Amino acid sequence: MLEVNNLDKSFGAIHVTCDVSLRVEKGERRVILGPNGAGKTTLFNQLVGEIRPDKGSIRLDGHDVTALDVPARARAGLSRSYQKNTLCDGLTCRENLSLAAATHTGAIRSLFRDPMTDPAVREIVAETAVLVHLAPYLDHRVSEVSYGIRRQLEVGVALATRPKVVLMDEPTSGIGPEMSHAFHAMLNGLPRDLTLVIIEHDMDLAFDVADSITVLNYGQVVFDGAPEAARGSTLLHDIYLGSWEDA
Amino acid sequence: MFHHTPLRLITLAALLIGLFAATLTAGYFGLEILAEIMVLAMLVIALDLVAGFGGMVSLAHGALLGFGAYAYAMMTGSLGWSAAPAMVAAILATGAVSWVVGAICAGSHGIYFIMVTLAFGQMAYSFAFESPYFGGDDGLGGITRPDLSAIGVDLNDSMSFALYALVCLIVAYLFAARVLQSGLGRALVGVRENEQRMRALGQITWRTKAHAFGLSGLITGLAGVVSAQHVMFISPGLMSWTVSGEALVVVILGGLGTLVGPIVGAVAFVLIKHEVSAITAYWHLVVGVILIAVVMSRANGIFGFVETQLAKRKKAPVPEAKPAPLPKGETRDA
Repeated sequence: MLEVNNLDKSFGAIHVTCDVSLRVEKGERRVILGPNGAGKTTLFNQLVGEIRPDKGSIRLDGHDVTALDVPARARAGLSRSYQKNTLCDGLTCRENLSLAAATHTGAIRSLFRDPMTDPAVREIVAETAVLVHLAPYLDHRVSEVSYGIRRQLEVGVALATRPKVVLMDEPTSGIGPEMSHAFHAMLNGLPRDLTLVIIEHDMDLAFDVADSITVLNYGQVVFDGAPEAARGSTLLHDIYLGSWEDA
Repeated sequence: MFHHTPLRLITLAALLIGLFAATLTAGYFGLEILAEIMVLAMLVIALDLVAGFGGMVSLAHGALLGFGAYAYAMMTGSLGWSAAPAMVAAILATGAVSWVVGAICAGSHGIYFIMVTLAFGQMAYSFAFESPYFGGDDGLGGITRPDLSAIGVDLNDSMSFALYALVCLIVAYLFAARVLQSGLGRALVGVRENEQRMRALGQITWRTKAHAFGLSGLITGLAGVVSAQHVMFISPGLMSWTVSGEALVVVILGGLGTLVGPIVGAVAFVLIKHEVSAITAYWHLVVGVILIAVVMSRANGIFGFVETQLAKRKKAPVPEAKPAPLPKGETRDA
């Protein structure tokens, strides 16, 4: 579903992405782990189209999307959620979801129909609200609801475009360990045919959600495999768990 | 996002009935003031569309108004067109120019956006001021009004013209309200709130902004045409950035991003101007003090104030945040 081949990116003398290749199958939940500064976010930004790679290609569902910009990749089925909430704070949760759903159905480009009353849009909004447990909050402004609800909405907005692949940048960032597990349970409740690529620095999420794990260190893929294998890996323990346990 | 709330519909109905009743009862001077209110109301509706709903504060709208007025004057004057095709062509031309301005400005934000639109506005102003084709600083006179004698209306009669301007205002409002309740209008609010997110959803945001600017330009063009028909004389002063600045004051006075508010603002502004200037020549001082008071009160203008006060009363509490439910068999560890 998502295929990354020999991606390479340098900022001046700093080589942040070194020959990264990934292959994520349809319906797979892939977690990309790595310590701070491992190049996770840079890789992510190349996947969504905010940064252009120096070399390499990105294929989505068989199509090369390397040359496409952010909106075009989104329309091709690559959706994202942000590490820092990027929502329309002055609008209600329903309006946020509707904007996403209407972009998918094309109602957003209509000069005559109102997406807010469009049956297809409303259906997607209602379904998405159930998936991310937002139904009671739909008619409240984003600025009124709690941070945890906003994190759920952040994922909901990414889902409401009915994407093929959802890239999530640290979805549980800032919500605390108490809520994290519930959040992971919510992610596990998403439709199984949805492909998820989740960037995390938190090991727990990997074991809660991941089918497979990719570990980055200094811009290189140093591990690629099942979560169980990651647990036993001494290499990982050294570069990642080691520093994590000491802290 | 824009919706016709009961408060907005009631206010709108009251405004229209009030303007209509005033038109039927006013004397000659009153009718001139009423026509001035209608033109200003159309301009501020157009400005609210981009500034209030799109977050694009434009200082080019005065120049666009002037462009519409000049286009109509040239087409009926030098080109000798009759009023109806000239009106349509002038409105479409203003929309097209506005689209181009919007498309070019779409890449800049905040204060830079204001500056780029100001530059466009001042370029147009200087051009009209210097160019001999457009009458230079003398302006253009002898602009004709549409001939509606076929339906028994003489627009050279002040009352008929004020009613005609009122009809144009209603058309402008309905058009703006329609746009704001379309996909484009919803996308525009999304772009104002978070352009980055709209791009990430797959929207081509510069296009949303340019289209909104173009549609706002159509309304501005209509306002310009009616303004030219009203005064029957135009001068480059119509294109000055102070016209844009004044329109912005009116939008803020009435309630940015409410569509109905700016009409309230237009009525209030013109009435204050005429009432106060009858007492003192320093009417700008009074408007300035009122504007400062409105902005300092942290309410969104006159209409916005009423709207937020009513919204506070009937606001439902936010449900208490609970962690998302866990699947059966799992426990929540701390």
